[in-house]
Amino acid sequence: MKIQRIGLLASVALVGSLALTACGSDNNTGSDGSSSSSSASAGASDCPEGGGTLNAEGSSAQKNAIEEAIASFQDACEGTTINYNPTGSGAGIKQFIAGQVDFAGSDSALKTTEKDGKIEADDAAAYCGSPAWNLPMVTGPIAVAYNVKGVDKLVLTPAVAADIFNGKVTTWNDKAIAALNSGVTLPSEPIKVFFRSDESGTTENFTKYLKAAAPDKWTAEPGKAWTGKGEGKQKSDGVAGAVKTTEGGITYAEWSYAKDNQLGIAQIDNGGGAVELTAESVGKAVLAAKADGEGNDLRLKLDYATKEAGAYPILLVTYEIVCSKGKDAKKAALTKAFLTHFASAETQKGLEDIGYAPLPTEIQTKVEAAIKALS
Amino acid sequence: MSTDTVAKAPERAAPPALGHPARGRAFRDQLARVVMWVAFLIALIPLVWILWTVLSKGVGLVLDSQWWTNSQKGITSRREGGGAVHAIQGTLIQGVTTSVISVPIGVMTAIYLVEYGRGKFAKAVSFMVDILTGVPSIVAGLFVYAVWVTTFGFQRVGFAVCLALVLLMIPVIVRSTEEMLKLVPNELREASYALGVPKWKTIVRVVLPTAFSGIITGVLLGLARVMGETAPLLILGPYTKSIATDLFGGYMATLPTMINQDRTESLQPAVDRVWAAALTLILLVLILNLAGRVIARFGSVTK
Repeated sequence: MKIQRIGLLASVALVGSLALTACGSDNNTGSDGSSSSSSASAGASDCPEGGGTLNAEGSSAQKNAIEEAIASFQDACEGTTINYNPTGSGAGIKQFIAGQVDFAGSDSALKTTEKDGKIEADDAAAYCGSPAWNLPMVTGPIAVAYNVKGVDKLVLTPAVAADIFNGKVTTWNDKAIAALNSGVTLPSEPIKVFFRSDESGTTENFTKYLKAAAPDKWTAEPGKAWTGKGEGKQKSDGVAGAVKTTEGGITYAEWSYAKDNQLGIAQIDNGGGAVELTAESVGKAVLAAKADGEGNDLRLKLDYATKEAGAYPILLVTYEIVCSKGKDAKKAALTKAFLTHFASAETQKGLEDIGYAPLPTEIQTKVEAAIKALS
Repeated sequence: MSTDTVAKAPERAAPPALGHPARGRAFRDQLARVVMWVAFLIALIPLVWILWTVLSKGVGLVLDSQWWTNSQKGITSRREGGGAVHAIQGTLIQGVTTSVISVPIGVMTAIYLVEYGRGKFAKAVSFMVDILTGVPSIVAGLFVYAVWVTTFGFQRVGFAVCLALVLLMIPVIVRSTEEMLKLVPNELREASYALGVPKWKTIVRVVLPTAFSGIITGVLLGLARVMGETAPLLILGPYTKSIATDLFGGYMATLPTMINQDRTESLQPAVDRVWAAALTLILLVLILNLAGRVIARFGSVTK
């Protein structure tokens, strides 16, 4: 009968997918032994028993960092799976409050002030049944990246940077730039500014910096959308790629993108001397940040206008947002183990290779103490 | 060829004075032919372009045996290696589950509309199916999200994705099955009734087998459509890098979400994976369409 053929077809499809299931493998550890993070297994010695799955969502700025941490954690702890979906900080916080994810990643700490009739921190606490904590986990410096032939070293002050990105300084040999860079021969070509045309946390943090460090030059309110001059490009890839192919181009982008595209990175002089962008100088700036939360809720207030010598001031800190008292004991144990691994000195050190800066020891100890206090 | 027509034209159009209009007709004929060929070729450009781009960029990884046996677990966008088996499985599992739910509903609705439905209710059903056909996939996804997550407070799981896909698949199946059932000659039904066979048996034994191959083709086309669907997956089916077969708990990866995950990356290993995943999805849909054709050919009722 014809109808039997449906059965035949269905069984073929079923057997086919079962066959695929049978030979599928989650084990990818053998494929790459040279990875920088594979040596970090010692950091996760306290694996929770029986493994488990954690789901997280949020900031795309920390995607690469958390991916590395997840990979090394899963290598070290058999049977664990951690999913991180980089849907953006706002989406991550919403899903966390809605109980859809176990922790959220965010470029900014939970807001304690009212916005649209809602207070994020209170909503999160209501969902958790206990206060939700912001744990700073990854610091990502924003590089002012340029492409000018023959100029390997460029110093900018926030005021000059603001003028460049506002379109007031238009050529590379402008007096304002030359005054900061004595001994460097600057060409007379025009400055081509590229900015992020999509809404971005990077833009927000960069404009926050300009506003804080050069308030009389940068008058626009900081935000996720760009208000300065220049040509828009999509995503960090877009702006970094545009500068790479455009002589005289300048942009702001996460450090890793400037590094990957081998762009020149400007040194920033906030008033305490020119500072090169290094893991160390970023760490110093993070240290200068003030703790804003109570106890183990470690929200940081960055001091963009810092004049401290050797502190690179343009950066963004991404947080993991967790319930201080987990709703599910097994998940809480797994969250604790994973965050311990993520915050460990070894994992943090590995992040340097991929364009992030490790947490400074002082803050890292605080974060570790906070993670210990999770229950 | 054109000279041919021009030479013959005056013979057919009787008065020699009218040679001019005939030449005009031949010219218009040629013009229409050229325009149609050009239109066809223009329509072909994006198709060939897409296929060539995806094929040339994705074929390297797809030919790697690891692609079909391993998941992406523990692979970051900086590392090479790993495969797509988790996403392929997820897509197949969700596709099969969606079909299992929507094929009976769709086929029976079509049977009702063709064999039983008379009057206002049938018209209303038909109208609703039309509306359902026009529902954008993102709306289907949001609707299921509103019911499944917001109202009932469940987690986002594979089964919720299936429910959204069911909404998209049912109208396709109803419409194609309806057309197929209408094609079954009424004489067959009448002959069956004349032999004293009850109506339900006529439908099961005569009408459905006659339309069988057409129904299967419709089902497979509907399946191919929902397998490439992305919007509901973005809302309801978060991506995971590990193999997941549980429809009711945890995340489940699919090929469209796998593509979406790495789409903004500039690092080569991630870019390669995106292209390879796109090629894999095209291959899966192609295989389904071919299967539909084969079944349509060999499954048709022989006279």
